[in-house]
Amino acid sequence: MNHYISNKSIMVMCEQSGGRILPVTHELIFCASLIADRYDSRITAVLPGNIAGAEFISGADLLVINSPGLAEYTCEGWEKAALLAAEQIMPDIIIIAHTSTGYDYAPRVAALLEGGCITSVAGIEFTRDGIRYRRSGFHGKLDLLYKAGKPPLVITVLPGAFPANVQQAEPGTVGYINADINPVFTSNLQYMIPDQSNTELEHAEVIIAAGKGIGKIENLQMIREMASCFNRSAIAGSRVACDNGWIEYNAQVGLTGKKVAPLLYVACGISGSMQHIVGMKDSKTVVSINRDPDAAIFHHSDICIVEELEKFIPEFIRETEKNRT
Amino acid sequence: MKILVCIKQVPDQESRPTVNQERTWAGYAENASYWINRYDEHAVEEALRIREMIPKTAIDIVSLGPERVKSAIKRCIEMGADQGFHLYYDRNDYLSPSIKSHLIAEFCKNREYDLILTGVMSEDMMSGQTGPMIAAQLGVPSATSVMKLKINAEKQSIQVERELDSGHRCFMELVLPALVAVQSGINRPRYPSLSNVMRAKNTEIMEIRWTEGLPASKYETVERISEVGADRAGIRLEGTTAEKAAALWQLLHEKSLI
Repeated sequence: MNHYISNKSIMVMCEQSGGRILPVTHELIFCASLIADRYDSRITAVLPGNIAGAEFISGADLLVINSPGLAEYTCEGWEKAALLAAEQIMPDIIIIAHTSTGYDYAPRVAALLEGGCITSVAGIEFTRDGIRYRRSGFHGKLDLLYKAGKPPLVITVLPGAFPANVQQAEPGTVGYINADINPVFTSNLQYMIPDQSNTELEHAEVIIAAGKGIGKIENLQMIREMASCFNRSAIAGSRVACDNGWIEYNAQVGLTGKKVAPLLYVACGISGSMQHIVGMKDSKTVVSINRDPDAAIFHHSDICIVEELEKFIPEFIRETEKNRT
Repeated sequence: MKILVCIKQVPDQESRPTVNQERTWAGYAENASYWINRYDEHAVEEALRIREMIPKTAIDIVSLGPERVKSAIKRCIEMGADQGFHLYYDRNDYLSPSIKSHLIAEFCKNREYDLILTGVMSEDMMSGQTGPMIAAQLGVPSATSVMKLKINAEKQSIQVERELDSGHRCFMELVLPALVAVQSGINRPRYPSLSNVMRAKNTEIMEIRWTEGLPASKYETVERISEVGADRAGIRLEGTTAEKAAALWQLLHEKSLI
């Protein structure tokens, strides 16, 4: 089946908080600009909200969907705003951030527009007959290249996958749609920022992170001992390690946890899902220890060690002690 | 109250996927082990907890896949679910979440579920699309990444606590019927009790097959599968455990990290 896709119109959903456009939006615009450079497409950034005056945005036309019902995020409100904008823009591609907001409503928008959807896109490639979208699958062990079907295609893009758009090209136009969007099935009751501060982790130069592979809480002692081999070190965990109660949530690294960038990151028994990689990929040096030789984490590591943690870590601690004396 | 839990059976994380000859999809060895997607197991547990609060709640399980998924459905019944439905699909190829959700939404019609629960994503593909798409197709509200939920029977609503990026939280209220996709960490799934294991032996799983065949896909397709491009040098240390430990210490020492 060949659907004609012109890729002439690209819609980008702005990530906003309190009417302010969040930085990840510029990454989405950069992604859109790669396509626009090839297909001479028009990029329209859509800002849902209750906003009196919006600023120009570099690299795209801005379309503000203005409605009292969009004062704060609801899945329903954002979905309706996206559908309303899509009706006007007639996009071939809709680009949304793969954040807790984006993945909440993006698949619904695709379903209602009867288009396809590709989430957590990590890159795009061009071939003779169109665009290919890259994401990982099979527990992060393989790379998948997707092709769009009948337009529109909704994609969610991983934060950090593209650089922020800094091109100072002439800013686009700003348009407004005064809408009457009132979520009826959903209400946003409260927003909360729990105290998740962890100064030790934030200032650590070396982070020893535990994953599912440590197997049981008793093995945490070994992780702590390994951390004590280093100066200015801290321990952290993957989502599974935190869910199992081995590590506190304020030491969770990943998309839903903290983003860290230490001099050294040691991943112990962490499989390496994209959700985790997003949180530690800016580390200077990454060492991974995992018994699975195909673990995805090895693709994001400088030094790879295929070993059982319970054998390797005590050996490493002994080695460190030996070299100290 | 009538609850449906949508589950997926996933291969063991340490199994090695083998890419097919056309390089369009991958499969696993005959003897690979499969289990319930971890996130979905939390959804089953959450349904059981709701039933403990609201008696007379019925819990159905639905899963799409080949014959082997019956064992995952059975495990949910052993945990305490009432009935299981197997949407039979035995092709090993890419099935768009748009189609999966369509098939499950069709299954839901006329069954009048008050609440549909599922995991926030699958462990293997991590798309996180099927749940919200089912909700959109049924025209009901949804919330993803839910860490806490509470039914308000009087108001016919559900209050959820969503986990946002960087650990922030937001509290939402959804009118029932609704779909809630739970995040791991919401609960600790229970082990099957002996009485439920016995009951599961006598509970038949209903198999549903499509007589007219599947709708032709107009959606996205996987064109090519490749090895993951490494974004770092990734040198592999070789030798005995002791040799690797010594090599690691040496490398870190050269970088003044230890």
